[in-house]
Amino acid sequence: MNFRDWNEQQDLTQFLHHEARLLDEHRWDEWQKLFTPDGLYWVPLVHGQVDHLNHASLFCEDALLRSMRARRLEQARAYSQQPPTRTVHVLGNIALESRDDDATCTVRSTFLLLEWRKTEQRTFGGSVLHTLRRADDGWRIQTKRIDLVNCDAPHEALQVFL
Amino acid sequence: MNSVIPIIPIAATNPIDIQSLVQPDRVHKRVYTDPAIFELEMDRVFGQAWIYIGHESQVPKPGDYFTTRLGREPVVMVRHTDGQVHVMFNRCPHKGAKLVPDGSGSAGKFLRCLYHGWTFKCDGSLLSVPLRSGYECTALDLKDPQYGVRKVARVATHRGFVFASLSEDGPELKEFLGGVATSLDNFCDRAPEGEVEVAGGVQRVVQRNNWKIFFENLHDTIHAVATHESSWRAAKEEHESMPAGTPKPFEVVIVDGNGEPLEFWEKLELKGYDHGHGFMEGIFVPPTDPVSLAYVASLEAAKGAERTDEILRVNRHNTIVYPSCSPHTSFQQIRVIRPLSVDRTLVEIFSFRLKGAPEATFQRTLKYTNIVNAPSSNVMSDDLEAYNRVQEGLGSDGGDWVSMHRAAGRDQPLPGGRASNGNSEMPSRNMFAAWAGYMGVDTSTQTGSAE
Ligand code: FES
Ligand SMILES: [Fe+2]
Repeated sequence: MNFRDWNEQQDLTQFLHHEARLLDEHRWDEWQKLFTPDGLYWVPLVHGQVDHLNHASLFCEDALLRSMRARRLEQARAYSQQPPTRTVHVLGNIALESRDDDATCTVRSTFLLLEWRKTEQRTFGGSVLHTLRRADDGWRIQTKRIDLVNCDAPHEALQVFL
Repeated sequence: MNSVIPIIPIAATNPIDIQSLVQPDRVHKRVYTDPAIFELEMDRVFGQAWIYIGHESQVPKPGDYFTTRLGREPVVMVRHTDGQVHVMFNRCPHKGAKLVPDGSGSAGKFLRCLYHGWTFKCDGSLLSVPLRSGYECTALDLKDPQYGVRKVARVATHRGFVFASLSEDGPELKEFLGGVATSLDNFCDRAPEGEVEVAGGVQRVVQRNNWKIFFENLHDTIHAVATHESSWRAAKEEHESMPAGTPKPFEVVIVDGNGEPLEFWEKLELKGYDHGHGFMEGIFVPPTDPVSLAYVASLEAAKGAERTDEILRVNRHNTIVYPSCSPHTSFQQIRVIRPLSVDRTLVEIFSFRLKGAPEATFQRTLKYTNIVNAPSSNVMSDDLEAYNRVQEGLGSDGGDWVSMHRAAGRDQPLPGGRASNGNSEMPSRNMFAAWAGYMGVDTSTQTGSAE
């Protein structure tokens, strides 16, 4: 599905870039406010996973769990955050997946994420489906689904939002 | 018993005197850091003990297979056409190819090697080979059982949990499990139908530490309040930010429990059994929210109020089935510990469905798995950090010994084991007593530590 016009493409692209920047800059409060109150942040454990309730996930976080994670990352005694994880997102292939009505659409993008922890750099990559809803002052995330190319691999700790 | 103290020549220049590394209340750092000791463990600990392979529900139909590792050995659990579950080496007897790919699936009616097409029944016996005539009058006798897939020495099942041993000798499974068999029983008894099944996918976490450090942590109660401060504080703050009187959500309960003071843990009982096993009492008061109540009702409908009460009163946190797994009976999961090298360990977390319980009960199991055991766990990330710092610290020259003195000499005897208060380092001492036994140390002459 194509974007309606250049304005819509710009609007959604900038939203995704803004969201990624909030994560890379650890602006957790602002990031959480991008979600609808019942919004879901979801990283499936296996490819093609259809269900976050009846199958385990890498992340499956509602507002409560997102807030708990953000609070922990800010704790002085978050030992595994000594030093804090640093990330940078690179987004690409942003496309309109579907448009339900004027206020709801799903955007697909791909991403590469560089993560620096202690002494090592890790790379994550995959595709993201943002189901977005329009509010008075901009878009809200209904669901952010991240499909890592290596979702089913054994992982070391994943501490920050991808 | 008067056995010879084993001096094992690993390399001519580097003999390991195992006996000198293990004392009843402290161990030498080398047991966590020496690659040669790791190799010996694979032979002697993982080569002798009953090792958890998987659950029968992972191979529901004939021809279904599930691969894993038994120590260093790639093995496969397969259900035969007669319904029996076999565990064999994942190796073709012809030229050695792995017979089934890693993971799980169905092999159909027989196992067929990808390389030259030798086929085997699902019990491993040889069915046919191409160019059979080529073997006539050769030394290779296709009727000889050695040309079937090699089975592990022993396989046994307890309530659907499949264990295997690479050793012909040793105790039967039931005797091996001893007091922790009751944890596996309770695991299943909690299902209205009395049975459980693996479901919902497997989480895999890589740890940068020796496998024994993880096992010791399973019953190391006093680390929780210190190590997990960031997550239990975040959970408490989260609850405090809710309108006054809001009941604690399940997500908060399972995280902020780590913030209990040391006196709380002191009162819990720890049990240790022969062969290194043990369990600790449940740390969560059974919840009374609608999901829990619906589950209890389903159990009562199946078993009656009295039996239900009996079953739920067995409230356990981690159980240790040394040296391969840790069942969590009240949240229906098993963590399988697979040592990769002296300083790397893979932990696989399997979730189980209680047959006959409401779907919401299983969803809660997965929630616990996601929050506490997934690679993304806020709780576990600090554990992993602690294990890693231990591993790195032990590699230093800053000292040779690791202390396990806390509450030493204060254990209470139990049939087949011992009990201690919740803050005791008894579980570590208990595991090392078993470890020393497997490794061939004569512990009968040991009295205490000597500088
Ligand atoms: S290696 Fe299996 S048939 Fe040849
Ligand atoms: Fe812990």
